Amino acid sequence: MEHAKLERNGIAFALAILGVASLGGLFEIAPLFTIENTVEEVEGMRPYTPLELAGRDIYVREGCYACHSQMIRTLRSDVDRYGHFSLAAESMYDHPHQWGSKRTGPDLARVGNKYSDTWHVAHLEAPREVVEGSVMPGYPFLSETRLNTKHLSGSLAALAAAGVPYTDEQIEWAARDAERQADPEAEYEFELYDLYGENLAVRDFDGNPNEVTEMDAIVAYLQMLGTLVDFDSIDQEEIAR
Amino acid sequence: MKPEFDEVSGQETTGHEWNGIKELNTPMPWAFRIWLWASIAVAALLWVLYPSFPSTSDYLKGTIGYSSREAVNLAVAEGEAKRAEAYTVFTETELDTLAEDPTLQAKFEDDIAVLYRDNCAVCHGRDLEGQTNFPNLVDDHWLWSGWPEEIEYTLQVGINSSHEDTRFAEMPAFGRNEMLPDEEISDIVEYVLSILGQEHDAEAALRGDELFLDNCSGCHAEGGVGGYETGAPSLADSQWIYGGSREEIAETLEVGRAGVMPAWSGRLSDSEIRQLTLYLIWQGREHGDS
Repeated sequence: MEHAKLERNGIAFALAILGVASLGGLFEIAPLFTIENTVEEVEGMRPYTPLELAGRDIYVREGCYACHSQMIRTLRSDVDRYGHFSLAAESMYDHPHQWGSKRTGPDLARVGNKYSDTWHVAHLEAPREVVEGSVMPGYPFLSETRLNTKHLSGSLAALAAAGVPYTDEQIEWAARDAERQADPEAEYEFELYDLYGENLAVRDFDGNPNEVTEMDAIVAYLQMLGTLVDFDSIDQEEIAR
Repeated sequence: MKPEFDEVSGQETTGHEWNGIKELNTPMPWAFRIWLWASIAVAALLWVLYPSFPSTSDYLKGTIGYSSREAVNLAVAEGEAKRAEAYTVFTETELDTLAEDPTLQAKFEDDIAVLYRDNCAVCHGRDLEGQTNFPNLVDDHWLWSGWPEEIEYTLQVGINSSHEDTRFAEMPAFGRNEMLPDEEISDIVEYVLSILGQEHDAEAALRGDELFLDNCSGCHAEGGVGGYETGAPSLADSQWIYGGSREEIAETLEVGRAGVMPAWSGRLSDSEIRQLTLYLIWQGREHGDS
């Protein structure tokens, strides 16, 4: 038996183990060094606003990813139902991404602007009231919980450390900007545009203008999903590779 | 070390001994070995044929030039071409003509019902009868008129949506924004109740009539019959989006309403929007007949 030689030679065996184990590392880690090749160059992507990011944190906290994917695969059935397949670029500011691997509910990668805020609020509070036969749990407490904005500067700073291009100004004023985005009067709409670009919605998302709640944040997040990249202006050659 | 063989089976042993017990050194069955090496060979072959690994500036594309993105674009285009062929009638005929064609419903209704349930049913209900906040689509009461092209336009651009050409209609928050004092609001509520002959305070309704003329008739028209120009609902029919009780009407005046219908152009094709328009017309007729 050939392996008898290896088994009787400790150092050679250790080196062989090292060689084989590092192959696994090579195949997992090496692609990360060239990740820029994978991420498409598209117009429109921007980092999350503080309010959207707070909503995203709630999405993660409540474990929405356990039942909802955010990844439209390159399959005809997926594209026909949910829209253009997801691009790597659309997840480039996600740490961690919310691709998910299980669809008890539908994919949410392009749910933004598909339904009204009112529907999202009604549906999150009591899913079966609006969708017959739904198995989604209700999240009525989101409407009653004031959004904690204190940690938002820290969240932005952490993402900046992970490579998301937040500016110092965005980080410093994160809590203020979260409140401003949910302002029913949209008084500071243009200041937000200056900071985050014009492709963002400033309004009262949860139907309660007196308070910025967790519901405001999660609806703001859901309503922007998949709305950033303009697929009409995209170079299909570049994307289809 | 010299190999040692078991006397009974003739098989080589590992050469280890535990209290007189020795272990046979039996090789893996040949079928498994073949399978293992075949798997490795297939993996290597796929590596050569298909896109496999990133390189410094690009990636290994494989020799057969496969791209899952190109493949799905082709498959989707093929599906679209098939649908375009099956549904040419919707793109090549005027909407008004289609709406009068009695043969289409039986032929396409089931197909379009799937489209409706996938996109519209969560708000307007599977039975199209709507629910609180979301209008009934088969009661023959329309906000922007029931003309086929107007229904189609609403589907395309939405109402208070993010589409640049969106229809726009907003009921102001007369109470919350302090546009009217509370007692005037309650007078208007009494007047609105009186339009349909519900139980109301006649004296307050009389005062409310005048207030309604000054503050509400611009959109809801005199007598509260509503207007297709403004998208203001009729208050003189028994259909309510936000509820028609005294409390619910007062709430509407207090906080205002600006219901959102999402824009569907871009998400659905022109043909699909036209099909849904016809579906609403057909269902409305059936509902009216029954």
